[in-house]
Amino acid sequence: MNPKTMFSKHILRSFLLLLLSCIAWQACKKSDFEQAELGDHTAEFAFPLFTTDLKLKDLLFNVLNDTLSGDTIFINPDNTMTLFYSGDVAQKPATDIFKFIESGLVPLSSDTVSNPIQTPNGVSISQAKLSGGTMSFVFSNPLSDTITGFFEIPELNRNGEGFKHPFILLPNEQNRVFGSFDMNGYELNSSSNTLTFQYAAYLPNGTKIKVPNQANGFPNVFAVFLNLKFSYVQGYWGYQLYPLTRDTIEIDINQTDLRGDIKVVNPKVTMRVRNSWGFPTRGIIKYLSFIGQNGEELQLQGTAFQNDGTNDYADFAYPSFIAGELGQEKITDIYMDESNSNIADIFNLQPTRLVYEVDGVSNAQLDPNLIGFMTDQSVLGLQMRVELVLEGSAKNFGAEQTLDLNFDGFGSLDSANIESVEFKLVSENGTPVDINAQIYFRDEAGTDIDSLFDAGAKNILNAAPVNNQGIASGVTRTETFIPMTAARFDRIRTTKTAFMKAYFTTAQGGTIPVKLLADNSSTVKLGIKVKKRLTGE
Amino acid sequence: MVNILKPCKTAFLVFFCALRLSAQQELMLHTMSDVWHSNTTNPAFFPENKKFILGLPGFGIDAVHSSPITFNDVFVKEGGRTTVNFSNIIDQLDPINELYFDQRYDIANLGVRLPGKIMLTAGYANRLSANIVYPKALPALLWNGNGPYVGQTLELGVKADVADWNEWSIGLGKQFGPLTVGLRAKYLTGISSLLTDPNHQFTAVSTSSDIYQLTLETDYAFYSSSIISAIDTAGLGVDITVVDQAKKLFSKNTGKSFDVGIQYKVNDRLTLDASVLDLGGKIKWNNQANYFSSHGSYVYEGQTLPGIDFINGVDSLDFDTKLDTINDIFNFTKTAGEYSTALPLRAYFGSSFKVGKRWVVGLSGYVNHRGVVGNTYAVGGSIRWKPKNWVSLGAMYSLNQRSVANLGFHLMLKPGPVQVYLASDNLLNAVSVKNSAAVNIRAGISLIL
Repeated sequence: MNPKTMFSKHILRSFLLLLLSCIAWQACKKSDFEQAELGDHTAEFAFPLFTTDLKLKDLLFNVLNDTLSGDTIFINPDNTMTLFYSGDVAQKPATDIFKFIESGLVPLSSDTVSNPIQTPNGVSISQAKLSGGTMSFVFSNPLSDTITGFFEIPELNRNGEGFKHPFILLPNEQNRVFGSFDMNGYELNSSSNTLTFQYAAYLPNGTKIKVPNQANGFPNVFAVFLNLKFSYVQGYWGYQLYPLTRDTIEIDINQTDLRGDIKVVNPKVTMRVRNSWGFPTRGIIKYLSFIGQNGEELQLQGTAFQNDGTNDYADFAYPSFIAGELGQEKITDIYMDESNSNIADIFNLQPTRLVYEVDGVSNAQLDPNLIGFMTDQSVLGLQMRVELVLEGSAKNFGAEQTLDLNFDGFGSLDSANIESVEFKLVSENGTPVDINAQIYFRDEAGTDIDSLFDAGAKNILNAAPVNNQGIASGVTRTETFIPMTAARFDRIRTTKTAFMKAYFTTAQGGTIPVKLLADNSSTVKLGIKVKKRLTGE
Repeated sequence: MVNILKPCKTAFLVFFCALRLSAQQELMLHTMSDVWHSNTTNPAFFPENKKFILGLPGFGIDAVHSSPITFNDVFVKEGGRTTVNFSNIIDQLDPINELYFDQRYDIANLGVRLPGKIMLTAGYANRLSANIVYPKALPALLWNGNGPYVGQTLELGVKADVADWNEWSIGLGKQFGPLTVGLRAKYLTGISSLLTDPNHQFTAVSTSSDIYQLTLETDYAFYSSSIISAIDTAGLGVDITVVDQAKKLFSKNTGKSFDVGIQYKVNDRLTLDASVLDLGGKIKWNNQANYFSSHGSYVYEGQTLPGIDFINGVDSLDFDTKLDTINDIFNFTKTAGEYSTALPLRAYFGSSFKVGKRWVVGLSGYVNHRGVVGNTYAVGGSIRWKPKNWVSLGAMYSLNQRSVANLGFHLMLKPGPVQVYLASDNLLNAVSVKNSAAVNIRAGISLIL
């Protein structure tokens, strides 16, 4: 082998060795993946945020019942709901109307004085029961002899024992008071509406005398009664007119600032009188009108009341003395609905309040033989109530709500790398009501920062299907996707409150009446997708 | 509050620890019975007429991924850095993907031919075997998040049998006329292992199409020795504490296995051979051996707000996602306990036929019985050319269960007493490792006297 060949052979061997080494190294080096970082890319994460079940009953409580404490939603056995707007209960104790004189002084210029019972006009007492107060007799003795005797009121007795008490007056004794005597438990019986005050006085020799009057003619004997209380009074009640109540019922379903068009099926006004006065009372309807949206008067007219040519009136049921109904309460309900009044027409005009004024008249029929009674517990209560069964239709009936927000939980999303988010709002609506809503995100100062929907309010709940009775018969699912850029999401994350304006429209665009049932409910759920840029750095 | 979008970087890395394991079956090496390192495929192989052989380092790797993704698909150069990028691979993955990987470092070994046609061998090698089955859903979820999979249930359970061990061997060969019989006993010291429990391999994440409610179910468990010491699922991420992988020559994890082989020279031209490797191979793992298990079911539906509070505005919309609760489902319990793993059983058979002075043709076969992946096999026909005494070139066509188009090669040089070689069952992936879904390469150097 020549030197050149030998040289080439060594070069070739060396080259091949180097080639083998390079290939082996290339195949085996690990530095690439040991130092590898996560490649930049966008990942999308989806997770749920919240679920809430909204019961129509709760929603109505909130929308309709948040201003007046007297409002009540009553759930009927068939799950329909009735909304009651009630006025104050005007409770009139009989003693407020018919006041008897409780205190007084009766001079006895003779040994017997018949004094008329001080009663209200038109009332004469034949029997009464006293529950309190005192009675005293005051004597002065102008003589130099001792005077003995007794004094009495024959119309009064307690447990069969008459009101009769002895006295002794020393010679020239002045202003000697006998009593006071507790009158609780005494019965008064008088056929002439009078009380008889009398005494019998005797000198030491047994001579009956009348205590002489003073020189100026004033008697030296007086009967004094203080704070007499009657627990029962029986007698004749004549005609008497007196005020019972004047009140206003706010119909706040129609008082929201947000406009809407609500039609209520068969609204009703009820006057309920609870009466334990023991004599006939007539209610005179002096005023009964709704007030419209613009303050106009909408008079409630119908045939529920009688009319005396001047006023509508109603005679209230009462516990009868003749029938022995002492202590009972009689209820009188007077209904005004679309069958006997113009209330349906009035409610289509969405009245805002009901104003009513009622006076009372006793023995309006002027019965001369009427015997009535009253006790210290006798009360006549009158209440007006507007009753709306929640069945009807609504178009864009509005409500508002403010919710606190806390986006702190998104802090760890590292918004710098968020590219976009997309909320998914899902509703499963079992109510026959569409809800069209917009949410305004507000900062701490209450300033609107952004809104949920760019293009205005959206239907986030579509009404459930309804059957021919207007009752929801299924569930309607609505999905609403709300995409946001990262910048917008960041802006919203700074907000503190969400102000929601919601507009309710009943099924089929509010063209048919539906029934709102207490067990109607909707489920509202929110999920989110977040696109985030992930990097290895 | 947790960062629910925290990248599961550790999970990515664990996944790629597996992915980077690529591989080969050493079919070509098996056709080179005069190459000292071919003794690892058949203990009856011993270079003819050589009395003393010192095997210097040899390296072999055989890795295959079932779907055609490559190193460069995953590890992407971006500027001056290398990044892991799944974007290019997820669409290429099969619903269920298999990855197996064998790696062998022959650190040193010795062969001596004694009188009486007896050959003694001894050696030390480090081996790694990994068999992994994973669903496409796992990298897809890790990379894309759950957003694209709304309405789907993603099953994420990975099956794995990974082990790394030292192999101390001593062998004896005896020539009986045309027949050479070889036997090798191996003392194994385990370095690390991870083995999933075949009875608990279910993990699934479902994202509802409603409002993305998450349903997480797990019935998953695995054994680990000296790989994972702790799993922390706090903060939704999965932080895996990996044991420092300092290689130790010896450990408390011990085992044994046996290789047997024969070579039979039918005549001057035809030679037949067969071997079975790692017979009875088993390692008992008791060093830092733990059983990690996760069992539970959890549905996260977000907050439940009382409707009445919502309506009345007395509650606030608190978007605290409270996903920490996921810890409860993914929380792995750790129980100390030893376990055993079996080594993959391998078998070779071959024949060679000399055609003239410089040409040899052959037929070879390979079977590998694996645990979680199943059996793999390969058969191939080879041709070898020795233009000079110091150089050998060869080619092989082989097919296996994954591909019917494998064109292998080898180059062996023997400048003086030095024997150096490079072999692969697939020429293309040998020169372009990073662009191949399968890698098969073997290289080594020896001194042969």
